[in-house]
Amino acid sequence: MTQGQAPAVEGLFSEDGGTARLLGSRCGTCGTGYFPKSGLCHNPACDRSDMSDAAFGPAGTLWSYSVQNYPPPPPARYDEPYEPYALGVVDLDDGLRVVGRMDVAGPESLVAGARIEIVIGPIAHDEDGTELVSWKFRPAEEGRDA
Amino acid sequence: MRDVAVMGVGMHAWGKFPETSVTELCRVAVEAALADAAIGWRDVEAVAAASSRFSGGKGWGLNGNDVVEDMGSTGIPVYNMSAGCAAGGNAFNVGHALVAGGMHDVVLVVGGEKMPKGFIQTSGVEEETDPEYLRQRCVGMPGPAFWALLCRRRMDELGTTEEQLARVAVKAHEVGRHNENARFRQEFTVEDVLGSALVSDPLRLYEICPVSDGAAAAIICSADAARRIGGDPVWIAGSAVATARFDDGLPRGLAGIVPTGMAHHSEAAMAVSKALAQAGAEPGDLDLVELQDNTVYYELAFPEEWGLCKPGEAEHLLEAGETLPTGRMPINPSGGFLCFGEATTAMGVFQVCEVTWQLRGQAGARQVPDAKLGLAQTLGLGGNGTAVVLKR
Ligand SMILES: [Zn+2]
Repeated sequence: MTQGQAPAVEGLFSEDGGTARLLGSRCGTCGTGYFPKSGLCHNPACDRSDMSDAAFGPAGTLWSYSVQNYPPPPPARYDEPYEPYALGVVDLDDGLRVVGRMDVAGPESLVAGARIEIVIGPIAHDEDGTELVSWKFRPAEEGRDA
Repeated sequence: MRDVAVMGVGMHAWGKFPETSVTELCRVAVEAALADAAIGWRDVEAVAAASSRFSGGKGWGLNGNDVVEDMGSTGIPVYNMSAGCAAGGNAFNVGHALVAGGMHDVVLVVGGEKMPKGFIQTSGVEEETDPEYLRQRCVGMPGPAFWALLCRRRMDELGTTEEQLARVAVKAHEVGRHNENARFRQEFTVEDVLGSALVSDPLRLYEICPVSDGAAAAIICSADAARRIGGDPVWIAGSAVATARFDDGLPRGLAGIVPTGMAHHSEAAMAVSKALAQAGAEPGDLDLVELQDNTVYYELAFPEEWGLCKPGEAEHLLEAGETLPTGRMPINPSGGFLCFGEATTAMGVFQVCEVTWQLRGQAGARQVPDAKLGLAQTLGLGGNGTAVVLKR
């Protein structure tokens, strides 16, 4: 993140050398991943919760996508005048199905099964002009399968 | 477990009633149900009510207490059940358990709701530990967007077309226009539906249910009480509640597991299969289904997920007219949520009213011929699912 930016909610993602990751946890017993962090493994088939911090992403596959054509009710954030944004559900390679905004102009180019990378980007601006950022999904560049 | 009968049902019409309180809506429904059962308020031994987040209940979801104070404080026990949009179905399940378990002989189940304008705000808390808050704050994915994601997946996977989606709405209004309690009673063409605004691509305004005001009530009784009262019982053959399983692949919250199998809305599928098992019935035995059609997608996906038809077959059955009241697999002869709009916590009781009228042969122009076995299903935020099987 640069100056004048702030995360929509603290502590959910990192960006290091241009690589975005989601900050969650993973159970050492059953391997289940969690985002956001969880203090307990929720897998009923797991015999012993053994949670430690884990980062997820950035690479995954698009499961489905949509567009938010109207302004969402609170507590969602957006700038006026409202511009529809695309949404996606992505299956990360390290085993999480995650929801997020898409970093694309429109859904026309999208198709289920497309390769995706996580990026950190703006979703709205605060009253004082601070750019609020969150994780987003961007179609992975050809030959640079993140 | 004792046998339990539905002896009376009643409804306030669905619509927007800015001048009427939710207690007044419930009063109309309760008085109609009492009259239908031919009993009086003092005969009611307990109330199982749906808790509303949006109206009445003193802001605490104490909607059953509002009803008792309004009808007359006889000192009876009140159970206020909260389960998001499944609250009405949940209240019915608890009411059934109270009678089946021998605690009471005559129970009122009631749900009433007045909804705020606009689309439903799903998260009621502003806490960064609440997954629904995080989902809206960091992403901005209200209910219709969630349905749109499921619908788009189906289109990419099975080839469902926009015209087929529109046809579900056209069919809903084709039957719903015959329902005097429905809010929207006009007919639509495929062109009308496809001409309505995109709410969340690929779903359009006429393909998702708006919010409404409404109330519904049911009087349920033990077999002994039913005999004493006389009249025309419809029997509760199965009543089940379930919550979502860990291996469910629906994207709830911010993230979940990547499922190995095809598991969506496990709470709904489990509630339906449990209720059918209690009834000793197979999905194919059902003469009609009232399912929660918040959007056209569910009318295609749910029958397949519950085994009423094969995966990918729903569009063909729709186009062949088989989901009409006169078809092989009648779905939502009431007109469903698409024609009523959603008075969220009243919907589970609304469905019981419709299935009861269908099984009694009182559904008029939307009647399913010779209906003997019917299913009612709801689901709500938090992974709550309910199902009721009624039989004649
Ligand atoms: Zn575990």
